[in-house]
Amino acid sequence: MKKVLWSAVMAVAIVAPAFAHHSPAAFDRTKKVTLVGTVKEFRWQNPHTWIEVEVPDEKDKGKLVVWGVELTSPTYLIRAGWKSNIIKPGDKVTVVVNPVRSGEPSGIFVSMMLADGRELLERPARLGTPESK
Amino acid sequence: MMSVMTIRAAAAAAALSCAVTGCSTAPSQPASPAPTQAEADATAAGTLSALAPANLNKARPTPPFDVTSNWFIDVSQDPKAWHFYLPPYPKLTAAAQKEFDTSMKYDGEGKVYKDDIGQCWPAGLPLIMTRYWPMAMIQKPTAIYMISGFMNSVRIIYLDGRKHTDPDVIVRTYNGESIGTWQGNELVVDTVGFRGDHHWMDQDGPAIPAGEKLHIVERFRMVNDGKQLEIEFTMTDPDNWEGEWKSTKRFNRVVDVDIQEVSCLPDLNQHIRSTSSKTQVFQ
Repeated sequence: MKKVLWSAVMAVAIVAPAFAHHSPAAFDRTKKVTLVGTVKEFRWQNPHTWIEVEVPDEKDKGKLVVWGVELTSPTYLIRAGWKSNIIKPGDKVTVVVNPVRSGEPSGIFVSMMLADGRELLERPARLGTPESK
Repeated sequence: MMSVMTIRAAAAAAALSCAVTGCSTAPSQPASPAPTQAEADATAAGTLSALAPANLNKARPTPPFDVTSNWFIDVSQDPKAWHFYLPPYPKLTAAAQKEFDTSMKYDGEGKVYKDDIGQCWPAGLPLIMTRYWPMAMIQKPTAIYMISGFMNSVRIIYLDGRKHTDPDVIVRTYNGESIGTWQGNELVVDTVGFRGDHHWMDQDGPAIPAGEKLHIVERFRMVNDGKQLEIEFTMTDPDNWEGEWKSTKRFNRVVDVDIQEVSCLPDLNQHIRSTSSKTQVFQ
C-alpha cells in the first residue's frame, strides 16, 4: 500500500504546476527532506494552507528548529481527505518536503504521516477533469 | 439631453421589436419598467451603469453563447498550458531583453527573480486567466463579471456598447479595461488601460514585463459542445516586444467547485517562508 501511495506522490510532484501565489522555483524538486517532529501551528486557509513543525536540530539535539511547510489550497486538500482539524498543535507528524534551495528551514509539502499511520497527500489542480475527483 | 419620455418611447419600441424578432432582454418578463429620471440623467451623461435596469433591459441581439460558469485552465493536452511564456517568444525590446536575461541568469542559479505575485501584487491580465483556482464568470446582457478564485481579482468585460475610457481619466489597473463585442459566433474583447508596474506576462521562468501600452485582444469561442471555452489572445506591447504575441488557451467548465474568499493577508508571507527566503531576488 505504501508503495502505491508513494507512486501517487511522485505523480503529483512531476505534474505540479506553478503555485499561483508564488513561484515554485524556490524549491528543489529533486530533493526530499523528512521532518520528524511536532506540529507548532496549522493554518487552514487560502491561498495556501501551511504547517509549522518543530524538529530537533541535527547539530544541537537540545534545540528545536521550526520548519515552514507550504501546501496548496483547501480546495484541493479537501479532495485528498484533509480537514481543518486533521492535525493540531502538539501532534507528532512525519512530513516530507521539497526544501528551498537556500538551505533555510522551509519547504513545499510532499506528504505527511500522522501518528495513527494515516498518510496524507495533495491533489493536483485539474478542475473540470476526472483527475480532480 | 434625452428625456424620460424619449427613453420610455425607446423602451416601448424595443419591447415591440423583441416581441417580433425574439431578441434578448433581462428580465424578459414582465415588461420592462420605464427608465427612472436618474437613469435618464445617467444616459444623457454617458454614465449609465451596466447594472442599471434601463441598460439591462435595452433590446439587443441574442448573444451566440453565455459564459456563465466556473472555468479552469485545461492542462490535459499540455502540462505547461498555465504559462504564456511558451516559446517562440516575440522579439523583445532591449529593456525587456535585459529583464529576460537577468531572470534566466538567476533561474540558472536556483533563484527566483522579481516574483511580484508572491509579494501580493496582482497577477493581472493575461496571467489571471490561468491561475491555480477557477475563474467564475457571470454574463449579463451588458457585461461579463469575472471573479478569479485567486485573490478574488475582478475583471469586467463591458458589452453595452461603451467606448474605452478617455486615457486622461482611466484608472489604470492590472486587469485593464475590457470592452467586448459579439462578432458572429465569437466574443471579441479589447483590453487596454494597464498600470505597467509589478506586472509580468508570466510567473516562474523568464521575466517579460507587461507595460502601460499592453493591448490584448481576445477572441472567446465556445467549443466541445460547451464543455470548453477557448480564448485566443493577441497581445502587443511596443515597449516590451515587437509585433503580435499570440497564445490560445482552453478552459474546462467546472461544475463541482465554487470560488472562495481569498486574500493576500499581511501575515501570509510570514508563514509562506519561501517568498522571503534567500532564493528571492528583487533587483
